[in-house]
Amino acid sequence: MSNASSELAAPPVTAPDDIKAVPVRHPGRWVAVVVVAIVAASVLRAVIVNSGFQWHYVGKYLFDPKVLGGVVTTIELTVVSMVVGITLGILFAVMRLSPNPVVAGFSWLYTWFFRGTPLLVQLLFWQFGGALFHTISLGVPFGGPALIDPSYNSLIVPFVAATLGFGLNEGAYMAEIVRAGILSVDEGQTEAAQSVGLSRLQTLRLIVLPQAMRVIIPPTGNETISMLKNTSLVLILGSVVDLLFAAQQIYAANYRTIPLLIVASIWYLALTSVLYVGQHFIERRFGRGFSRGAA
Amino acid sequence: MSARTIRAVGAVALACAAAAAGCGSDDDNATSTAATAAASKTAADPAVVKLVPPEVKAKGVVTVVLDATYAPAEFFAEDGKTIIGMEPDLVTAMAAKMGLKVKLVNEPFDGIIPGLAAKKYDIGASSFSDTKEREKVVDFVDVFKAAQSFYTKASGGTEITGIEDTCGKKVAVQRGSIEQDGLKAQAAKCRAAGKPAPSVLSFVDQNSVTLAVNSGRAQLGFADQIISEYTIKKSNGLLKAVGTPIDPLPSGMAVPKGSGLAEPMLAALKALMADDSYMKILGKWGLEDGAISGAAVKINGAVS
Repeated sequence: MSNASSELAAPPVTAPDDIKAVPVRHPGRWVAVVVVAIVAASVLRAVIVNSGFQWHYVGKYLFDPKVLGGVVTTIELTVVSMVVGITLGILFAVMRLSPNPVVAGFSWLYTWFFRGTPLLVQLLFWQFGGALFHTISLGVPFGGPALIDPSYNSLIVPFVAATLGFGLNEGAYMAEIVRAGILSVDEGQTEAAQSVGLSRLQTLRLIVLPQAMRVIIPPTGNETISMLKNTSLVLILGSVVDLLFAAQQIYAANYRTIPLLIVASIWYLALTSVLYVGQHFIERRFGRGFSRGAA
Repeated sequence: MSARTIRAVGAVALACAAAAAGCGSDDDNATSTAATAAASKTAADPAVVKLVPPEVKAKGVVTVVLDATYAPAEFFAEDGKTIIGMEPDLVTAMAAKMGLKVKLVNEPFDGIIPGLAAKKYDIGASSFSDTKEREKVVDFVDVFKAAQSFYTKASGGTEITGIEDTCGKKVAVQRGSIEQDGLKAQAAKCRAAGKPAPSVLSFVDQNSVTLAVNSGRAQLGFADQIISEYTIKKSNGLLKAVGTPIDPLPSGMAVPKGSGLAEPMLAALKALMADDSYMKILGKWGLEDGAISGAAVKINGAVS
């Protein structure tokens, strides 16, 4: 029932009182920022002002042709060693998961041996193996006629010795990483694949490995970054000149040890940073379809 | 902040492992072995002690750095910890004349001169050839003269007449050594004659040089003559000398520039020569051929 006199003004509709929200103060954070800034500034100043670093020599040798040659060799060693390592890793991981006990046992033996001996010693044995095995022949085993019979040193040249050493060692570590990745894929996937009629190898190739890659990529990126630095061990082989060896050859002649080590470090940092970018894109590719996918 | 030398990180562990894999002693410790050389029976000589700088006299001990992979000049004894050889004996006797004790420290060869330049050690006694280039960085007290010679495998080795014959051949040397410099100079001569330069393999320690020759990686090894001869002797017939040795060059102990140790060391050496201890020490190691005398006994006597 409408009531003309009840045209009293309804109380004005106001929005609820705006809450006076005061942001929470974090005084501790500001103190921390100031402390960190002071420490960082002091370290930077100590480094820049210290004449011992001889920064002008760093600039002089940063793009020296010998150093650049060393960078190229380091990249070559890393790429070839990682290719060998990853291939062997996948191979031995699959072998390890084989139902054939001899095959699985052989794979176990390989990872046990190559993870159990120091990388340095492995490199030395590959480089100086000519003292133990004068020739390497391919032919009928156990003393039969040989098809080809090259000498150890002509077949396994220093670069090959280095990549064999790095690659085989890396293969053992990669085998465990790939095995972990394969184990991380739900067993249901394998069962479903088998129920559809795929063979063991097809299951691995089409179903399991693609899903395992997501778990395999981050540790592999780690290993690649490690390998980049481990290649500096070639200096004990005496003839493969990588980045660190090149820097050491230069300072052996001009005694500018610190600046040249800094030059080498700058290059290693730069190359590692490139690997970071690469890893990001690979992770994104293999993380498709997962909500907690790429970084 | 004083400048400090950064030692190449891997070099230290490498020297140990390379020595272990080589045919030399099994040297399983890392950077510094504080092996005190046998106490010298030499008494302090007052005339020499007068010349020692006061801060060193107050310390009473000098730190001597060397690369102990160079038998018989400086190397590890069977126990793998004690450093022995002609130079430890000589430097201990010289220090005794100065009224000081000696602390021996093992370091890879090519890190020693930078270490001295950074005043990390007092004396470097590692069979250094005294060269003008090195005299720019440190001072030398000449104590010996050292020739350089080649060695190769006894059967299946490479014959050469001398260093001129190394064009296009694979030669192994220790890194930072005068032999490496010698081959660099020879490379220029080879190229000028239209021949390929010698291919140089440079290793952190002397044991790897020998291993390279034994395994066929290198055709020739090139080292100080006393080292080559000792290596050949120890190889049980696997190695032999080849080519004419390079003429002897002065070999000295290095001290940082301005340390004030060069004069007392020279005086101590002359005192050891006067009472025949010098020849006795060289004779103990069969190195009498390298003895110097007269005008050759001096500070910074580089000829090239």
